[in-house]
Amino acid sequence: MSFKSAVITFPGSNCDRDALTYLKDLTHGEVFNIWHEESSLPNVDLVILPGGFSFGDYLRSGAMASKSNIIHDVIDHANNGRYLLGICNGFQILTEIGLLKGALIQNKSIKFLGKDCYIKKKFDNKFNCNIKDTEVLQIPVAHNEGNFYCDQETLSYLQNEELIAFEYCRGEGSIDDGNINGSLDNIAGITNKNRNILGMMPHPERAYQDFHVSKDGKKIIESILS
Amino acid sequence: MNDEIILQHGLTLVEFKIIKEYLKRDLTLEELGIFSAMWNEHCCYKTSKKWLKKLPTSNEIVIQGPGENAGIIDVKDNDGIAFKIESHNHPSYIEPFNGAATGVGGILRDIFTMGARPIATLDSIRFGEISTDKTNYLLNGVVHGIGHYGNCIGIPNIGGECEFDQTYDYNNLVNAMAIGHVKNDSIFYSKPKTIGGLIVYIGSKTGKDGIHGASMASDVFSEDDEDEKRPSVQVGDPFMEKLLMEGCLELMSSGLIESMQDMGAAGITSSSVEMASKGNVGVHINLDKVPLRQPLTPYEILLSESQERMLAVIERDNNEKIREILKKWQIDYEVIGEITNTKRVVFSSNEKIVVDLPVDIIVDDAPEYDREFSLPKKRKQRNFDTSKLNIEKMISNYMNNLNYLDKSWVYNQYDSTVMGDTIKEPGQSAGVVKIHNSEKAIGASTDCNPLYIRINPEIGMIYTVLEAYRNLIASNIKPMAITNNLNFASPLDPNIMGEIVLSISGLSDIAKNLDTPIVSGNVSLYNQTNDRPINPTPVIGMVGCNSNWKKLLQNKFIKENDELIILGKSLDSDFSPYFLQDQKITSSICEFNELLAPDIDLEIKTAKFIQKAAEKDLIQSSNDISRGGIFMSLIKMTQKNLGFSIEVNDEKDIFCEYSAGYILAIDQKNKEEVFSILNKDQIDFLSLGQVKLNTFEINSKKFNYSDMVNKYYKNFAKIIN
Repeated sequence: MSFKSAVITFPGSNCDRDALTYLKDLTHGEVFNIWHEESSLPNVDLVILPGGFSFGDYLRSGAMASKSNIIHDVIDHANNGRYLLGICNGFQILTEIGLLKGALIQNKSIKFLGKDCYIKKKFDNKFNCNIKDTEVLQIPVAHNEGNFYCDQETLSYLQNEELIAFEYCRGEGSIDDGNINGSLDNIAGITNKNRNILGMMPHPERAYQDFHVSKDGKKIIESILS
Repeated sequence: MNDEIILQHGLTLVEFKIIKEYLKRDLTLEELGIFSAMWNEHCCYKTSKKWLKKLPTSNEIVIQGPGENAGIIDVKDNDGIAFKIESHNHPSYIEPFNGAATGVGGILRDIFTMGARPIATLDSIRFGEISTDKTNYLLNGVVHGIGHYGNCIGIPNIGGECEFDQTYDYNNLVNAMAIGHVKNDSIFYSKPKTIGGLIVYIGSKTGKDGIHGASMASDVFSEDDEDEKRPSVQVGDPFMEKLLMEGCLELMSSGLIESMQDMGAAGITSSSVEMASKGNVGVHINLDKVPLRQPLTPYEILLSESQERMLAVIERDNNEKIREILKKWQIDYEVIGEITNTKRVVFSSNEKIVVDLPVDIIVDDAPEYDREFSLPKKRKQRNFDTSKLNIEKMISNYMNNLNYLDKSWVYNQYDSTVMGDTIKEPGQSAGVVKIHNSEKAIGASTDCNPLYIRINPEIGMIYTVLEAYRNLIASNIKPMAITNNLNFASPLDPNIMGEIVLSISGLSDIAKNLDTPIVSGNVSLYNQTNDRPINPTPVIGMVGCNSNWKKLLQNKFIKENDELIILGKSLDSDFSPYFLQDQKITSSICEFNELLAPDIDLEIKTAKFIQKAAEKDLIQSSNDISRGGIFMSLIKMTQKNLGFSIEVNDEKDIFCEYSAGYILAIDQKNKEEVFSILNKDQIDFLSLGQVKLNTFEINSKKFNYSDMVNKYYKNFAKIIN
């Protein structure tokens, strides 16, 4: 059976087209674009909450989108053990829904950050299982609120349960000085306890074509498909 | 109407007399407001029109030249590229964050009004001496504003310029450029087609922001003006613009509307007058129907520059279908008037007519001035003593001058990769994006050489265009057309008027020579505070294409031992204005030595060679030589521990400026073939040295590679903070 996936578009999403292209090019399966007011999701294997400024970041990034009509079905989709990936604003929405722990606060530099960053895998899950432990991925980031924060108890939980998927590092792989936005423990992406939901700040959909800075973003879809 | 009110509206008493004589009656206050908005430089180009007419504006690739919201060129297979640059200088000085943000918002609307989806932005920004707190505040605010708007709406910023010079202390410049992609059979114009068609209002509600923005933008500042003028600066909402953009593009693709015009400078006044004038029709608008944010008088509604608003003309039958589509995007939509056959602009409110003017007098009879201008003085010939300079000291000067350093502090605050089609991000010779779902690469560069233009407006302007041309060629993008943003001080000063006239003449000559017509543009005059004028800063944005992105040239070193060669003609140190100024060899740079005319034939011949060699995959990477000479060009090419070892006659020569200057890195195996083509094409070249790992070596003098590269990439942030 072929792999099916969907991208949710909120008002203000601006990476929805990029995510659709990414899924079409890499899964070769059917890809749906779902408007946030729809009340039901088609039956799919993977849902992406894309990057952007849903609802103009009013209130807090991701806060308004987390109350959208479609979110009930997105939660059901995840509770059924299917894959859910939140990229950038999508990650922020996942923490606002409560499907992922922690919060994304303003970058330590108090400036928007748009550049290539380096990340590597911390703990194994279905989104990164094809990536070697020592491998460094070069993937663009573009965010103002990407600084992962949580209380000490939650941080210990994420560590003990091995829910940290990606951490920021330097080009040669060392963690020192690699933290680009002030995130606790260099966290660039985390999963839920079941490891079927991943939220990450870097944009894998901007790193997979020949002309992109790298093709490392492919590895996430390849891992899911493997 | 008393003289004081007339003068407050930026009209001269003579202009007012002309209007009154034509109408044979007194004006209403609303009508005076309309003339104030439409007869200023920003809207009617009254000072520059005579000279702008000389510019070449068409050739076989131009689909739309100046006069519409943006120019459009044909890049084949039904693909068109819409682009324009526009200034938001005065608002950005008064309120840098909102001034710059709405500059980006305005130029993006110009693009999608034509049915084009924006695919890239660039920004050309200029500030005063960085040592002042004021400049630091302006820089931070402007960069934050540009980023805030562009990042949120999700259009990649792919390049631009950022320069510091004390002439911009009280008049910083913010010029924003946008590029869009349109299918050539689906372009929208502002010209309405149907008499009786409904005029509809789409977008944000109208508020008090920006009232008199356009006439403010055509005014000379005095220092204490700043606080008083702040309410004239518009406030932007990029989220609303994103909804407006998606809503409008959906409407246009659904075929439900017949024409569209954005409400930019002078708001509903200028957009409705333009529509009437383009269609040779009349408009009747009921101001009571305009969606309002707060209670406003008819006068305020007419002149509000609230952002994120559009005017469209539709057929009556489509009204409800359009309302449905815009409901999805949560955008205000109201029928506010209709197209008439009267050729008059009529606005009513409260069942009374407040404005009733013939379109002709507003548009066609707008004043056109032939202002007095003077030519620059002859310069004395002089040789400068550079014998006391040593290379270490010179390098140190460059590495501590913001104008030369890598600007990642600026462009890392912009999203350059959103939309997933960016091929070349800022920091390279040109910004490049791919047209979605095609192999076509669209490249662009914004440039201006204010110092060259101050020395010789005509020749300096030619250099400016050639610099943009070289930036595109160095990436193997074929230069195709130009948009211009002419920033000058007050044209009432004959010397400044001379700068305007001569630089337009230079632009005209070089655009004809390169066959790169001017398809859109903007004029920003009166950029002076009291008697301090800015340097003449006619910025151009040049756009080009390569139908196969795989043939683009990289601008950074690719591998060790590649041969480095230079093409072009050195201007020598006595004739390199930036070198003399920035190395503080003379403080009165504008009094000595003419600017040497560039060799345009050599420029074209060299460009053709690079394009030919790139298509044959004979060049590893290339970069143009501009301000800072060979030295700066080489340092920009360093990456991934790849440096260089070079030999030159005199080490000071590596800072000289160039005509037709490029550095090419050639794989050793292709060297002979490249040299033989160069010989055959009769293009002089010099072997410079090789690409070397972890090396920064000039005439056997070894510098620390990481130290040099770090300074280049990191000193900007250090100096700013």
